Amino acid sequence: MRLFGTMGAETSFREEDFFGREEELSALTRAALEGSRGIGSSFMIYGPPNIGKTSLLLKLAKVLGASAGGNGLPRPFPLYFSFSQILSHPLALSQHFLQEFLSQLLRFLGDERPSAFDPAAMCDRLASFGVTGCREVLAAHERCTAEGDGLSALVNALSFPFSASGELFYPVFLFDDFQYTAKLQAVPEGAMLSILRPYIKSGHFPMFLSGSSPGRVTAALKREGLFGTFQMIEVGGLSTSSSVRLWGHLCERRRVDIPAALLPRASERLGGIPTYQRMLVEEIFFRGAKVPDAVTLENLYAVSVTEGKLNRYWREFFENTFPNRVRRGRAIRFLKRILCDRFPLDTMEGAISLMGASEEEGETILSALEFKGLLKADLDQLTFLGDPVLADFLYWAFERGVLGKGTSQVAAAIVQARLSHTAPEPGQGGDHARRVAIVKELMRKWDLREVPLLLLDFGMFREKFGGKGLLEVVIGMEREAVRVRLPKVSSVSTGYRASRGGPRFDFDLVAYGFLASDFSEENLVIWAVDAAVEKNLGARAVEHFENRCRLLALEKGLPHDRLRKWMIINETTDPAAIDLASRYGIHLSHPTQLRLFLNLFGLEEPDREPESAHSPGPDATSAGKTLEYELVLPIKADSEVVAARVAEEVAAFAAVDADTVDRIKMAIIEACINAFEHSASESGKVRLRYVLSPDKIELFVQDDGKGFRTGMTPEESKKNRGWGLKLIRELVDDVEIITGPDGTVVRMMIHLGGDSANPGTNQQEEGGSASPGER
Amino acid sequence: MSPYRTIETREAGDTFVVCVGGYLNNLLGEEVEKVVRAKLDDGVRRILINFQGTRMVNSIGISFVIGIVEKVMEQEGRMAFCALSRINCDLFRVTGLAKYVRSFETEKEALDYLSGNA
Repeated sequence: MRLFGTMGAETSFREEDFFGREEELSALTRAALEGSRGIGSSFMIYGPPNIGKTSLLLKLAKVLGASAGGNGLPRPFPLYFSFSQILSHPLALSQHFLQEFLSQLLRFLGDERPSAFDPAAMCDRLASFGVTGCREVLAAHERCTAEGDGLSALVNALSFPFSASGELFYPVFLFDDFQYTAKLQAVPEGAMLSILRPYIKSGHFPMFLSGSSPGRVTAALKREGLFGTFQMIEVGGLSTSSSVRLWGHLCERRRVDIPAALLPRASERLGGIPTYQRMLVEEIFFRGAKVPDAVTLENLYAVSVTEGKLNRYWREFFENTFPNRVRRGRAIRFLKRILCDRFPLDTMEGAISLMGASEEEGETILSALEFKGLLKADLDQLTFLGDPVLADFLYWAFERGVLGKGTSQVAAAIVQARLSHTAPEPGQGGDHARRVAIVKELMRKWDLREVPLLLLDFGMFREKFGGKGLLEVVIGMEREAVRVRLPKVSSVSTGYRASRGGPRFDFDLVAYGFLASDFSEENLVIWAVDAAVEKNLGARAVEHFENRCRLLALEKGLPHDRLRKWMIINETTDPAAIDLASRYGIHLSHPTQLRLFLNLFGLEEPDREPESAHSPGPDATSAGKTLEYELVLPIKADSEVVAARVAEEVAAFAAVDADTVDRIKMAIIEACINAFEHSASESGKVRLRYVLSPDKIELFVQDDGKGFRTGMTPEESKKNRGWGLKLIRELVDDVEIITGPDGTVVRMMIHLGGDSANPGTNQQEEGGSASPGER
Repeated sequence: MSPYRTIETREAGDTFVVCVGGYLNNLLGEEVEKVVRAKLDDGVRRILINFQGTRMVNSIGISFVIGIVEKVMEQEGRMAFCALSRINCDLFRVTGLAKYVRSFETEKEALDYLSGNA
């Protein structure tokens, strides 16, 4: 005779280990008790695997079992039943259900657990409590069994508790792992709900369905018109305070000593999941380990997840669920991409193509994950669920299985990753974060567009546009023939290191994209992006970046050309760094290139963080904003005075001293009259831009003529003329003149807060490069 | 004359004083050159340009000033500037004017220098 009783979670459930969830518990208890008055609601409880749904149901069963029915009203009889056992035949299921019902009811009514399953004896015993009709139900069940009519047997069994209820009790079903009911042979999905429907609707029999894949269940509820009847409760990790209380309790039981200060962090580490807490405490206990500090705790955790209990837990799941090795590897690799690398996927097709499996196999894998609750499928929308421990496990499985790393190596990486993320990175101020954020936004907009390769190649860019101003560069860029096709980026993760892998894969951004609109593995391309923190990019930084990229390519199993490397640099670079980057195929972009890149996609440069010493201006500039004015002047006598007036206004914003105002005015006058005199402009107009930022004023004077006269003609020499450029150089800190087929741009810059009173100390901007000199 | 330009002349002893107001560009420069040349033709050999009212200068304006200085030196006259703003001082230095013509803060100092009292 088979053993009876659900030999599952409820036998291992320890009520004393249950902490927190007071709110959920009280809502559920109230709903169950209200069944006695016919106003009880039913609940659907959902959440990721291991989070504690079963514990919640079992705790509820205890609470309800202990509750006394008041005022002669019937008492709620909590019937816990888990569908997770592989009882896919409805006859087996109904048989099992009946056994559970009879045995649990007897215990509810005060009997000891009987030593063996004897239905006849149990029926007699129940009759003595006033519960009649048992024998009839059993007889009916036997008839159905003999006829092999599973559905009728199921209807018979499931209805029994309701017909047996009366003045003494009313059944409250606590159905665990309800998603498994969809797997019953020869029973249509949702049949269970159809059978239960009238009872649920009555309000007398509150029901609590729990499952980690609510998508299927809610779909079934909708089909049965029950969706509105159910309230949804999502179960997440324990709150820190509950989790800490649980630590205390577990540690006391196992006589393990963990300093209280480490507990909140340990809770976070395990996602507030009680099962993991128990496993880790047991791990520590069995190893007889002392936990004096965070590092030891991290190490013990890493040991557990790579070779101990936590590892075993998930390993068994994967081994049982995917007995086939190849398929298991595929599932693990896939899940790792999703949960660790945060590959965002929300469609079935995307998931299957990422797996690189046939449609049939892909669906099998997804379905298995769904049953574990690692995947939520609502209509066609997929959501993957995981927790920190599973992520670490997947990392381990991947590193060991795919990269052949030893367990201790992986454990070390896990510990290191965690420890290195406790403090914010130095030197990554607001400016850096903003730059990264804007690049992230930019990448999201790429969408297979083609852009000039020059945007990504600083060496070439400087060669071509060195000494030219922005407007000129913009014009030049538009004509640039060498273009590169950007991928359609499906995800960009920031702070990649925070997700997985530790400092070895420490990039500012990692973007996943596809080279064609076809979302398939062979089109996959990954962009690793770093925004340099250092002002002057050195060869070492490039070397370091390349090394990390190689590891990333190895980890992702990507061919070399499918990993794109991109560094956003700051003001300057060592020539050696540029050489090295070009040798390694690393894209480099200077802030100027980035600005152009952003403009192409309709984005603006992030505001610079105001530096207190460098913000002499009032509100607008000290808030880090850039003010920009544009002016189009007709080429006619004295119109440069207007330009000077506007310059005066702009300078007033920056609250610069009178002398600097004069310099700005003079400089712009010189640039204007030069444009008037020498450009031979067809349009008869000169375009001016004044850009005021916290640290500098930039002036652009653009004409569409032949070019700036930078030297004196003999005739001019005779007339003491041709001083323009010389004066401008004297007046401002930096000048660039860019002449192209479409005209000339003079860019003049005045540093604010610097030594503007002494313009003799000309500062040159690398990347913008120095002016080309007299020609 | 444009509102950006004014020119006043007077004689202080045997020194011809030109007060330049507004924006010293080609037009005003030409104007200044014209009045100075006329005085040189009249035999005046001491010229003082007062830049008190000069709010802006451009390179063409400066080129006229250079032309004036050359003329005066050709005629072996003496010349001085006064009341130059700091920026104009710089510009005159850059263009080399400062090497040939002395600048004074006040008109009096300049007149004293030109009359040989300084």
